[in-house]
Amino acid sequence: MRRDRGRKPKKKICSFCVDKIESVDYKQYEKLKRFVTERGKVLPRRISGNCARHQRQLTRAIKKARIMALLPFTME
Amino acid sequence: MEHYEIMLIFSPELEKEEHEEVLNGLSDVIVKQAGTVGTILNWRKRRLAYEINKLQEGHYYLIYFSGPGTIIPEIEHYFRVTDDVIRYMVVRTDEQEYAAAAEKAASEAAAAEKAADAAETAEAIEDAAATEETELAEETELAEEAEPAEEAEPAEEAEPAEEAEPAEEAEPAEEAEPAEEAEPAEEAEPAEEAGPTDIDEAAETENAASESEKPEETSGKEKTDQ
Repeated sequence: MRRDRGRKPKKKICSFCVDKIESVDYKQYEKLKRFVTERGKVLPRRISGNCARHQRQLTRAIKKARIMALLPFTME
Repeated sequence: MEHYEIMLIFSPELEKEEHEEVLNGLSDVIVKQAGTVGTILNWRKRRLAYEINKLQEGHYYLIYFSGPGTIIPEIEHYFRVTDDVIRYMVVRTDEQEYAAAAEKAASEAAAAEKAADAAETAEAIEDAAATEETELAEETELAEEAEPAEEAEPAEEAEPAEEAEPAEEAEPAEEAEPAEEAEPAEEAEPAEEAGPTDIDEAAETENAASESEKPEETSGKEKTDQ
């Protein structure tokens, strides 16, 4: 017996696997912007649907991009 | 020997000569430590995501080099004593990226050369495009004239949904195919482009799009059947 609250759980697919990206590049910060919240936090896997491997690479890439002021640490 | 990549940010007000001075000093350090400098990419002036030393923008450079691991402390020391560099980061890369950077630099250099030529050829291309457009317009006019008035009307109705070429629309038999092909492609794009923040929203719009698509399709077919 499954309770559906009016919304089907949609199967999420890792967008990096779909694009066959081997390693996530911190230099492509425009792409990384999609994976941070509007406050600049890293988006959790349960929202983005990334696989574990790419999520790990993504967080490291975002942190590198933050150091180089390509992405913000925080946004008001 | 490992491959490394340095990203560094200069203060925005510096001139190109000053950049080159620092970069030459850097390659001296690398060469002195038995390393080889690969490609240097100019990432140009960019807006910083946050203030660094009260600066709002910085001039980015990417430097690829290979050398022994002992080289890194030397390079970091060099950057620390150079005031013009407001931030730096040395990361290890693989050979693939190293080669890709070299290719990119080559293509950029070629593009810069082409830019000068392109300015000359641009006029010629514009002229050619203009003549093509007029030719196309003439063709479609002829096609519309040839068809009876009844058949021409559904073609015009289908136009905004399809955005296909007017020449194909003139014949009602071909209309159904482009409509089916074009619409799923349009659907897929927003879903991919949309950020994960609105993945749920994207899914909803996707569903909405697929639902709304069907009536459109059928109505389009009905029209063509008439």
